[in-house]
Amino acid sequence: MSSREDILQSIRRNTGIRYEKPDYAPLEKEAMTYSDKLAQFQDIMKLMGGRAVILQDGEDVNEVIRKQYPEAKRIATCVDEMQCGGKSYKITCATFHPDDVEKSGDLNGTDLAILQGRVGVCENGAVWIQQDVEQRAIYFISEELVILLDRKNLVNNMHEAYKKIDTGEYGYGVFISGPSKTADIEQALVMGAHGACDVTVIVL
Amino acid sequence: MKVGLFIPCYINAVYPQVGVASYKLLKSLGVDVDYPLDQTCCGQPMANAGFEDESKELAKRFDRLFEKYDYIVGPSASCVVFVRDNYGNLLKEEKHRCASEGKIYDICEFIHDIVKPTSLKASFPHKVSIQNSCHGVRLMHLSAPSELNIPYYNKLRDLLSLVKGIEVVEPERPDECCGFGGMFGVEEHAISGQMGRDKVKRHMDTGAEYIVGADSSCLMHQSGIISREKLPIKTIHIVEILAAGL
Amino acid sequence: MSTKHSKAAEKFLENKEQAAWHDQTLWMVRAKRDKMSKSVPEWEMLRDMASAIKLYSNSHLDSLLQEFEKNAIANGAHVYWAKDAEEYCSIVHNILQNHNVKHFIKSKSMLAEECGLNEYLQEKGIEVVESDLGERIIQLMHQRPSHIVMPAIHIKKEQIGELFVKEMGTEPGNNDQTYLTHAARKNLRNKFIQAEAAMTGANFAVASTGECVVCTNEGNADMGTSQPKLQITAFGMEKIVPDRDALGVFTRLLARSGTGQPITTYTSHYRKPRHGGELHIIIVDNGRSRILADKEHVKTLNCLRCGACMNTCPVYRRSGGYSYTYFIPGPIGINLGMLKAPLHYYDNVSACSLCHSCQNVCPAKVDLADQIYRWRQQLNSLGVASKSKKVMSGGMQFLMERPGLFNFALKSAPIANSLPHFMMYNGLNDWGKEHDMPKFAKESFNEMWKKNKVK
Repeated sequence: MSSREDILQSIRRNTGIRYEKPDYAPLEKEAMTYSDKLAQFQDIMKLMGGRAVILQDGEDVNEVIRKQYPEAKRIATCVDEMQCGGKSYKITCATFHPDDVEKSGDLNGTDLAILQGRVGVCENGAVWIQQDVEQRAIYFISEELVILLDRKNLVNNMHEAYKKIDTGEYGYGVFISGPSKTADIEQALVMGAHGACDVTVIVL
Repeated sequence: MKVGLFIPCYINAVYPQVGVASYKLLKSLGVDVDYPLDQTCCGQPMANAGFEDESKELAKRFDRLFEKYDYIVGPSASCVVFVRDNYGNLLKEEKHRCASEGKIYDICEFIHDIVKPTSLKASFPHKVSIQNSCHGVRLMHLSAPSELNIPYYNKLRDLLSLVKGIEVVEPERPDECCGFGGMFGVEEHAISGQMGRDKVKRHMDTGAEYIVGADSSCLMHQSGIISREKLPIKTIHIVEILAAGL
Repeated sequence: MSTKHSKAAEKFLENKEQAAWHDQTLWMVRAKRDKMSKSVPEWEMLRDMASAIKLYSNSHLDSLLQEFEKNAIANGAHVYWAKDAEEYCSIVHNILQNHNVKHFIKSKSMLAEECGLNEYLQEKGIEVVESDLGERIIQLMHQRPSHIVMPAIHIKKEQIGELFVKEMGTEPGNNDQTYLTHAARKNLRNKFIQAEAAMTGANFAVASTGECVVCTNEGNADMGTSQPKLQITAFGMEKIVPDRDALGVFTRLLARSGTGQPITTYTSHYRKPRHGGELHIIIVDNGRSRILADKEHVKTLNCLRCGACMNTCPVYRRSGGYSYTYFIPGPIGINLGMLKAPLHYYDNVSACSLCHSCQNVCPAKVDLADQIYRWRQQLNSLGVASKSKKVMSGGMQFLMERPGLFNFALKSAPIANSLPHFMMYNGLNDWGKEHDMPKFAKESFNEMWKKNKVK
């Protein structure tokens, strides 16, 4: 008999009371919401070690990026153009597309990567990135990240977020909440463990 | 309403004044209280050490001894909650249902929830730091456990607020274990001692003159530490304060 | 009367400064957890829900695991079932061998620790590199993790600085945490790029989508799985959850409970293999299906491995992870060790004052302290109960069942007060090592009552 059958049989033999699946609705209804989502999102991004910047009327997104990361030289973008609120935002400050490289290791040394965020979560600063390029390594290997997010896609909490996300054609997605961090040496918090050392979410 | 006073073994032997204060306090509140003789031990030390079977006869004795009372009230949250939470299981093979578990109260809980006095005669012009005991807090619900997201309440503080002249504080880490734990204190004496020393220090850091609690076991443990380390703080059972001047 | 745990704990406490630091640092994590939990008004509802979902999923493992398998295969993954540690290790090894993998990068997995994967692979000539910073430190020091979430919590930065001079060529004497972390970042970056395969554990496996979810703060799981195109993911079968809505519940609890953060930096969802790559998923039993039949301990399968019970445990904080004989320490480790092999791991059962704090912090409401109490009841029938404890307990029982004798003892007890000091505080009296003994009253309450002195 295969291990699969062995294991399934052992599960069936040993399972006692079969509990009902709980109804999530009452909890989801009780879950935290925010009257000013934008303000909450900015606060929580700060707490997570990153920042959220609201693009003001008349501001060019490329200039905001340049101003935030003046030192960045190798700049990758996964977004050429983003449509939201009836406007179109063209990314022109990037120097290459992540799929231009031959292998993922070649992305090492990228200073800044510009990504599209699909959902932003106000309770924890997590932004859903649905894989949209071959080389998803760019999301992690770049020293700094800019995530573009449509303000319409801010949700209160993870319950709401999970109803909106998709892993798409690539079958991969990740919530990113601020810069990569660790406290593995004497519990001292250090930014930039393996992933991005700095993260800015630009809310459009 | 007839109340049987339950005096746990170590209170009987080491802290009889706690028993006396309990009796006086209940009496002064108009409670019809009696002490059934020949009480020994509730069986918790054996059970917590892993010998539940050795507690069965004691549970049977206990149940018989307090058969005729409407309430059983004792000045030790830990012993009381052991009876409440474990006797049903210990006596499940008996023909009749264990009667004690449903009518036993810690004395603070009993006064706070059943008697509900609005004033006390007691006066105690001292600063006291509350020893929130693990079993009192997490099993008997005498106060809101620090781990849970529920509104703050503390029945000990409520009762102490009826005492004149008293200043009541709680230590940092307000309900961390003091390390008594019955035979844990012998088997894991190094950890138990360290927990006790840490606890006493946090009580002292409040500037309190007394550590006050509803469990003489925690107080016994800490007073052993205080005496060994010659520390400038004392322990006192809450009923001794509530009965002050009676 | 002592256990392996109590002896190791006594030794740990000898270094007073380090022991106090350990206690204070982990308490800080507990305090951060409290702050987080109290900022979520529906926190207790969340815990109830997490527990209810786990009770459901762990009592429907047969159907949920098959649903997961069906979906994962449809997503293009290869799915394996491993009965035990040996089978799990050999599946991993076969995959690596078939792809001629020599460099293998791993993110933290308690399952891999449980099954001894690294040792197994290294014996077969495969270089395994741990990529979580704490795990990497431990690996280079040839040690075991002392905490499941903060594996190197017992190591001082000076020791790490020394290690990195040797292993990563850092400046001698520079023990700054940021400096050392960034040195490891650089060093491991090359390992990620060179690796031919990457492995992760899973915090959750979602039946309805066939995806595995991994939570990290460092981003190491993603750095690994986005470099080589061969990915292996393995999970113990209790990691299954029914659907994404369940993830909404667990991702709100996990990091808040474990490290006091609103969420981990990365919450990654692996559903399909990368284009031109392969995704291999191993579902592991290794004793878990047996636990299903154990009514008294089945709730250990609710555990999310967040580590909150360790951070709150007053004994763990003051004795360190190595004082326990099972590889998972603290309240959950005491229980899991007993479920694994009671005759091997019973020494840890003493490491609990039954304060019940662990049960209150557990996000999935595992009844940790109640279970430890129940294990204590079983030590006697397992034949491993402490003899002196048994004698003491039996002696107490004998006395307490005889009120006449008890009363006599009460009368004569005050004599103990005047015994010479050396008789009270000798080596047999472990309580007396820490405290002065309580003084017996001149007259017991019983005596006073009989003499009508209680008025």
